[in-house]
Amino acid sequence: MRLRLGLGLTVIMLASTLLSAQRPFAPKVSGPLSQRVVAYQIDAKYDPPKHAVEATETLIYHNLTGQPLDTFPFHLYLNAFQPKSTWMHEAHRDGNFRTSSLAAWKPEDYGSNAVTSFQVVGMGDLTEQMKFISPDDGNPDDKTVFQVKLPRPVPPGQDVTFQIKFKAKFPEVIARTGYKRTFLLAGQWFPKVGVWWHGQWNCHQFHALTEFFADFGTFDVKVTLPKNYVIGATGVQVGDHDNGNGTKTVAFHAEDVHDFAWTADPNFKVLENQFVGSVGPVKIRLLTYDSHQREWEPYMYCILNSMKRFDDWYGPYPYAQLTVVDPPHGAGEAGGMEYPTFITGLSGWYIPKGYHLIDLVTEHEFGHQYWYGMVATNEFENAWLDEGINSYTEVKVLDSMYGENTSILNLLGAQLGERGLQRMNYLDAPDDDPLSRMSFQDMSMDSYDSISYGKAASMLISLEKIVGEQTLKKALHTYFMKYRFTHPTQEDFMRTVNEVAGQDLSWYWNQAVYGTQVLDYEVLRADSHPVNWWDANLKEKKGETEYETQVILHRKGDFVFPVDAVVRFDDGESTHERWDGKERWVRYVFRKKAQVESVQIDPGYQITLDRDYLNNSAVTESQHGAIHKIATYWLFLTQLLAQAASWLV
Amino acid sequence: MDDEQLTHDHKRAFAAGFSLLWRRQRVLWWIFVVNLVCGALGTAPAFLRLHHALSHSLAGQPLTKRFDLGMLGELLRLPDVSLWRYTTNSFLFAFVFFVFMLFVTGGVLETYGQDRRLTTGEFFAASGGFFWRFVRLLLLSIVPFVIVIMIYQALNKVAVRVGDRAIPDQVGIFLGWGATAVFLLLALWVRLWFDIAQVRAVAHNERRMWRNTWRAWRITWHDFGRLYGMYFAIALVAWITLVVGLVIWAELPATATGAVFVILELIMFAQVATRLWQLASATTWYQQHEEMIPVPVAEVETPPPQGVVEPAPIAEPELPPGDPGPELPPADA
Repeated sequence: MRLRLGLGLTVIMLASTLLSAQRPFAPKVSGPLSQRVVAYQIDAKYDPPKHAVEATETLIYHNLTGQPLDTFPFHLYLNAFQPKSTWMHEAHRDGNFRTSSLAAWKPEDYGSNAVTSFQVVGMGDLTEQMKFISPDDGNPDDKTVFQVKLPRPVPPGQDVTFQIKFKAKFPEVIARTGYKRTFLLAGQWFPKVGVWWHGQWNCHQFHALTEFFADFGTFDVKVTLPKNYVIGATGVQVGDHDNGNGTKTVAFHAEDVHDFAWTADPNFKVLENQFVGSVGPVKIRLLTYDSHQREWEPYMYCILNSMKRFDDWYGPYPYAQLTVVDPPHGAGEAGGMEYPTFITGLSGWYIPKGYHLIDLVTEHEFGHQYWYGMVATNEFENAWLDEGINSYTEVKVLDSMYGENTSILNLLGAQLGERGLQRMNYLDAPDDDPLSRMSFQDMSMDSYDSISYGKAASMLISLEKIVGEQTLKKALHTYFMKYRFTHPTQEDFMRTVNEVAGQDLSWYWNQAVYGTQVLDYEVLRADSHPVNWWDANLKEKKGETEYETQVILHRKGDFVFPVDAVVRFDDGESTHERWDGKERWVRYVFRKKAQVESVQIDPGYQITLDRDYLNNSAVTESQHGAIHKIATYWLFLTQLLAQAASWLV
Repeated sequence: MDDEQLTHDHKRAFAAGFSLLWRRQRVLWWIFVVNLVCGALGTAPAFLRLHHALSHSLAGQPLTKRFDLGMLGELLRLPDVSLWRYTTNSFLFAFVFFVFMLFVTGGVLETYGQDRRLTTGEFFAASGGFFWRFVRLLLLSIVPFVIVIMIYQALNKVAVRVGDRAIPDQVGIFLGWGATAVFLLLALWVRLWFDIAQVRAVAHNERRMWRNTWRAWRITWHDFGRLYGMYFAIALVAWITLVVGLVIWAELPATATGAVFVILELIMFAQVATRLWQLASATTWYQQHEEMIPVPVAEVETPPPQGVVEPAPIAEPELPPGDPGPELPPADA
């Protein structure tokens, strides 16, 4: 039942409200929660007509690598939105992932990051030392990563302070950032240092398929913008100063996060609510529009319910605030994105009840607060660790909210559940790439999407069959609690599941994560014959004649997985068989005074990795229900098409 | 004829059209059956494929007990089933029906014009007799239909542009709907124009389709409001039956496939019936108004005196190109 938000939902028009300084954490939490490697202080001035920011950035980098560092790479993500960038090349090659029409881009639509000054405290101006590098593909025209070599190394345990002046020009909304009319989503907008990981710098170029990776730390960001703008950002607002010249400067503070995004629009409507979880109240701030009024309640309902389930199942949300942005129409490219304590949803003027689009997007992005935000895996290299685990928890959360078969759609008689959605995604390209491949090197957008989201989610749903749903839930809880505010690897995840489940699941991981084997079991044979078939005087009589039933199950694919099968007889009895699935096939023989009626592998449809559900069962009596239903619709649509065509005559 | 009389006649044509449709319902049933057969033939390969895939599997249960789009998605995607492939067949038989309707429209209009049951030979003779003429009319109709599509695209472009600049979502959405409404109304008008051209061609056994189209334009334009109102009213009936039918369909239980079939076929029957109702009404209207259909009078210009004593010969009245002469009823009318 939907929460009655009525009184709880307060609509506030933010004009020049002064907020008192806020703690970045929920009441029962105190920092630091992470090993804080970076401390960013950014002072940015936003120029709305130019969709540009001019800013100064002070970055204090704590060298916790245990070794001296004299080279530092930085991301300049907005340079991806240039015609010759690697991102653009891949987006064009792989089908415009998260983009609208690249071909229609004009030069004024391009985005850019330009560093105008780069100084290192105590080492002088190193602007001339900046050098663009392309560690992934050697593209000389890609300017999404630059590197600076310092005159002397930073000793282990010491700090280095970078003072950077930069200009950021936002593109019209594309791939998680940009403007639309007066709306701006400022994501990946500032020079961000790479991550020293596994003994080397990890600072990939911006790729079309994959997302980001950065170190934890603190952010103090001031944004100066026109007074009439409403702004929201990562962290909490700690200051709002009227500059007296038609502008204001709004200050934000965040701790134990690894990125900072903000949004602004004079037309935002602000809704606030509160979630009270295990670590105290968390403020929810929804930035939306009057024209989306119909969707305000579904938004809040989804956010509150998602937060509750994550809090109950996986662990607490420790921050003081969650900012949710509902982008305006035409800015879909800004929708469905996650930044620490800051997510963007997707809605519209009218979304029919029964179509849980808002829930699908909002829950997914909130889930990323856990699987990306706090458990900060490398999204460039192992996207499945954030997208896949998050898609799995999305199945769990939305199924519990709206029912297993109707968690996405329950409209006009048509239904679609979350696991069905993930499975469809998986079936698009089930064996193109292993989960373990560097995600930005996946074959295509289809493959990335299918593998990182659909296959990973299906792999975890299928794993429930081995370890049990509750064990897997406990494993995810353990994984979250153990690795939050760190950068775990896929091996860390698998090891955690092994430990919690108390079994070595290498055989499973080897196939599902490191391999591209396809899982497909089928019922090859199911029939009954009288035992006395040779008796010329045999007269078959139900309940009296003894039959021998042959059932053969066949492993059609290369993926070995234990399966259950239910054999039903025409006397109403049934038997369950469990096969380890290792051999190519197995035969079951039954002798009883009944004939086989049906055989079904995985009757609960739990093995969602099984590529073909149609061959999972065999029935002796013809089943026509689905055939007639689809044929009826097909017939009608063909007739309608014919009639519409004849209208032209 | 005064306005009141015209309105009365308009209502009469509307009702008389329905009455004619009812009296000649064999035509309606026949066309509906052909539509159904074309639909069935277009569906058959998909049906056989489904039968092969699902008849001895329990995988169809999620589609039977409810309508699970996940399972439908699998049927569409699985290489062994791949239902998408069979949509080609549906398009093929939709085209067959299109050609069939192009062929029989002459016979249908002849039946409505004569308001009697034609023999099979007479019907097909009329169908064949007008087939190529109606093909030419169809080709001519492409021009206004393309213009209507271009108008729609232009309006839609404006709607998108204005909507894109507006803060509320609704502006673009409503403008888009407005553009679609304009498109439908203009398309209906083109349909009316060419229906009148068909009716006129049959009524006068007209062979010159250029001239026929031009005259149909003038006829339609002359009594545009009433004719269009009649067509719009019938189209409205078609749209309402479609919506009501779909609402009923949505309320049916998931397992009631038989009832779903009946409802969907009733919808189709209503679509075919309303289209024929338009043709019957156009025929009736044409017959009722034949005598008042405008015949342009050629203006005779007397040349000014040239200062010549000899009287100038009176010039032959020059008819504008394609200008109709007095309309005569067909010989066999």
